[in-house]
Amino acid sequence: MKGNKLRLALLLGASGLFLLAWIFPIFWSLLNAFKSEQDVLAYPPKLIFTPTLAAFRDVLFGPTSIVPNLISSFIISIGTTVVTMVLAIPAAYALARLRVPGKKWSGFYVLATQMLPPVGIIIPYFLILRDIGWIDTYQGIILIYLSFSLPFAIWLLVSYFEDLPFEMEEAAFLDGASRLMTLWRIILPQVRGGVAVTVVFVFLNAWNEFLFAVVLSGNVVRPVTISMFNFVSVEQTLWSKLAAVSALAMLPVIILGIIAQKHIVKGLTVGAVKGGGRR
Amino acid sequence: MTKATTLGVPAGGRADPARMMEGRERRFAAALLAPAFLALMATTTFPLLHLGWTSLHRMDLAMPYMDGFVGLDNYRELLGDPRFWSALGVSLVYTFSTVILQVALGLALALLVNGMRRGQALFRIVAILPVVLSPAVVGMVWRTFMLTPEFGVVDYLSMTAGLGSHNWLGDPSLALLSVVVIHTWQWTPFAFMVLLASLAALPEDIYEAARIDRASPWLCFLRITLPLLRPAIVMVIIMRTMVALTAFAAIFTVTGGGPGTATEILNLYAYRKSFTELSMGYGSALAVALLIFTLVVTGVLFALRRAK
Amino acid sequence: MTSVKPTRRHVLQAGLAAVAFPALIRSAGALTADLAPYTSAKIDWRQASGEQITVAVIPASYFDNLIALSPQFEALTGISVRFEKIPPAQIRQKAVIDLTSKAGGYSTHAADPMYYALYAANKWVEPLDPYLKDAALTDPAWFQPDDIIPAWRNANVVDGKLYGVPYDGEVTVQVYRKDLYDAKGLKAADTLEDFVSNAAALNDPGNRLWGTALRGVAGAGQNVYIYSSLFREFGGDWFPGGKFRVNGPEAEAALAWYVDVMRKYAPTAAQNWNWPDIADAFSQGTVASYIDANTSASVITNPEKSKVVGKIGFARWPKGPTGKRVSSIWNWGFPINAALPEKRKKATWLFIQWAASLPTQALTSYQFSGPAKRSGVNRLSLWKNPDYVKLMNSFGDNFVATTLEALEQDTDVNWRPRVPQWPAIGDTLATAIQQALVGQATTKAALDEAQRRLEPMMRG
Repeated sequence: MKGNKLRLALLLGASGLFLLAWIFPIFWSLLNAFKSEQDVLAYPPKLIFTPTLAAFRDVLFGPTSIVPNLISSFIISIGTTVVTMVLAIPAAYALARLRVPGKKWSGFYVLATQMLPPVGIIIPYFLILRDIGWIDTYQGIILIYLSFSLPFAIWLLVSYFEDLPFEMEEAAFLDGASRLMTLWRIILPQVRGGVAVTVVFVFLNAWNEFLFAVVLSGNVVRPVTISMFNFVSVEQTLWSKLAAVSALAMLPVIILGIIAQKHIVKGLTVGAVKGGGRR
Repeated sequence: MTKATTLGVPAGGRADPARMMEGRERRFAAALLAPAFLALMATTTFPLLHLGWTSLHRMDLAMPYMDGFVGLDNYRELLGDPRFWSALGVSLVYTFSTVILQVALGLALALLVNGMRRGQALFRIVAILPVVLSPAVVGMVWRTFMLTPEFGVVDYLSMTAGLGSHNWLGDPSLALLSVVVIHTWQWTPFAFMVLLASLAALPEDIYEAARIDRASPWLCFLRITLPLLRPAIVMVIIMRTMVALTAFAAIFTVTGGGPGTATEILNLYAYRKSFTELSMGYGSALAVALLIFTLVVTGVLFALRRAK
Repeated sequence: MTSVKPTRRHVLQAGLAAVAFPALIRSAGALTADLAPYTSAKIDWRQASGEQITVAVIPASYFDNLIALSPQFEALTGISVRFEKIPPAQIRQKAVIDLTSKAGGYSTHAADPMYYALYAANKWVEPLDPYLKDAALTDPAWFQPDDIIPAWRNANVVDGKLYGVPYDGEVTVQVYRKDLYDAKGLKAADTLEDFVSNAAALNDPGNRLWGTALRGVAGAGQNVYIYSSLFREFGGDWFPGGKFRVNGPEAEAALAWYVDVMRKYAPTAAQNWNWPDIADAFSQGTVASYIDANTSASVITNPEKSKVVGKIGFARWPKGPTGKRVSSIWNWGFPINAALPEKRKKATWLFIQWAASLPTQALTSYQFSGPAKRSGVNRLSLWKNPDYVKLMNSFGDNFVATTLEALEQDTDVNWRPRVPQWPAIGDTLATAIQQALVGQATTKAALDEAQRRLEPMMRG
């Protein structure tokens, strides 16, 4: 019995340590966002202090407001999500439920495109977009985001469409236009859970992407993941503001992550053959 | 399905309705697939061809007047470039160490949590947090609030523990260790979640049998759990390897490849060559090398999966 | 000459700008301020009215002050200005990407002086002399281009042509803790040898005091910035006999000196420091001296953050073995994007002229209503203006005298190799220096490897 208690304590200790290790860095940067600049610099690090919203006020409403950057991130992420879903739903449906010429190869193609290293895509893309004048445009960045979001979304959706019962296939006796209606009215509602999860993932990946954004952003396209570097200025690091910006950049994805928590394992398992743009 | 090798209506008489329907279905399927496939080709295949073509050119944005076709010169230069080999080595070390750590820690924790009656939900929620964050933000948080000497929490803990203050990102081996830890921190939850889900799905009755045989827990793990879990583990390894091979943002943010070239993975070298030194041609050759490297590693992993 | 009557629209615009940027409200005085200092110029400020220009700058207080003042420019010229802040680590790459695309995204940007050779070779930016000479665009009697600090102007000249007008800049100097030096009877170093012995005398890591710190982090504008001065002081030449060379005995000696000082007398963490980190450490009292930009004075004399206010001395760069002092200099200048339509080029030039003019330099520095006063003004006359000098000397003993002496006597326009290949040279050299510093390679091996990498590029 004694041995059991000891074991239990060890287990609890070990698991507690894991929890702490994961929460702490996030918690700590959040905490620093509520500190004054002096409290941030205090040594040893302060756990108890008078909280202030000054840093949030500055980064939201101050002269270096990141609100435009947050808006930009939302435009990119929502734009990518919409375009991706419009293209991916019909394609995934066809791959999962219909007799497609060269189905095996199509599936393989979708999988293989996920293996391209992003740095290998950005070099030609930069050259091409430069020539057509699409650098620093939303259409340019959304187009390149399709390179990771589309294969991922198709792959994830196919797995949901495949789970549907076969009776649904009675729709096959209708002509094209009616079948499109059937897809829209009958089949799609059956996989709305899968669609929702896909939307969450595509949004997350677009929000978190970095390499493409670093090269293609500028005047117009300026997501928050890029602009946070402005708080490590040439003159000094603005610690509490940096913490506040990190917190604001984390907030939408954490909320989404917790909402979609139940489905996230499936999403990650299917999609993370690549993991999208999140690196 | 197999008999319908020709499309279109057979000559003479009415069309066979099954065939007609099949032709219709194919056309419908093609119409559904076409937009997505065109987009995929435009965003992945075409750039890939363009990349290959660029890699056969000298293309320096700093000296456009020198641009031109050079055949395999970039590749020849690459083979003799010590920084390329060093970057390849760093990529290998980074990939393998992070993947092994993630799987080992993730498995250990999954076993731990799987045995819990309560509190699993808490672990699931907490594990989500690092996974959904942007690696750039994660990198920034670690670089500043965790690892800054005499300021970051990690350095504080190290000093409190009597290990002294360390230059976590300025010392070549510590810097590599730091970026490995950061990647492991962010992605272990992924391995944990997948393995936990697989563990929960294992049949209970096998264990019952083992218990009757009075097998030790360790033996149970080795003989039952591990073999049953093998497919899931292999899948996690494959997926994590792919991501580690293409990792960029965290290292870019945390060390920028430094100090020196101590944490310069192949992606970062290709990026620096292309966008800092502005040598797009050579940068493209590096990216092609990275692609080949990725394909080889993936090929080996898939072969391993099939091996049993 | 046209007198400018602020129209209702402009007042409205300015008012809107103030609402959009609360920080500007503090400087609302500037909006109603008299435009007289500008209208005395014999040019038509409104000749490009209606144009819209975009200016890329880095996030730094000296540009913030300019942004705060910009409604005045809009009222003066009828040109609307959009500022875009880009992190310092990305602005060069962003500018080059924009210039190669020839899309004219940034009408002008805060440019790195080392990039003009690249810009000029590709004709990405306009030579500015025609703008300076055009009486319709510039009134030389009012603008006084020769009043702009010559060392900075020369840094922006390629093949005899000016490509960027300096807005703000710096020169590197020796900064030391007067109190600590006095206590040990030390004097500001005259030579690099003195500098080392001073550092050795004060180095006491056990009590959290290090002798010195120099920029350690890799970057063309970081460790290379300091190393290049050392290289020249040790007698190095980037183009001996016309052939590019980064290795050789002088280079090895300079790098060995740097590595030795950093390893022995600087905190280990400094191997990853840029100047703000050095200034932070100095202001916390853990570093006894450093050689870096004079502008870092604003950090170490900021009473809110610094513990060493009033204990700071300034001196020129120590002499190298050759007896030369070579200070590292820097300026953020504004070029004109050659891809712009003609009228927008004129609008951009008016902006540049406005930003670099004496009244704007005064209004963004000692006359600025906000808390952050600029210390890098571009006008010799300002550096001799009693009000400005008084403000600057609050930084510490002989701050202004040291800065001026350094700017006038210690600069060397070729202290870094000014060639189009600079981006590659800078990055390669930065990596080599840091490799030697952290012991990844010996000084000789690191430099030889850099030479091997750069040679084919320079042949091209």
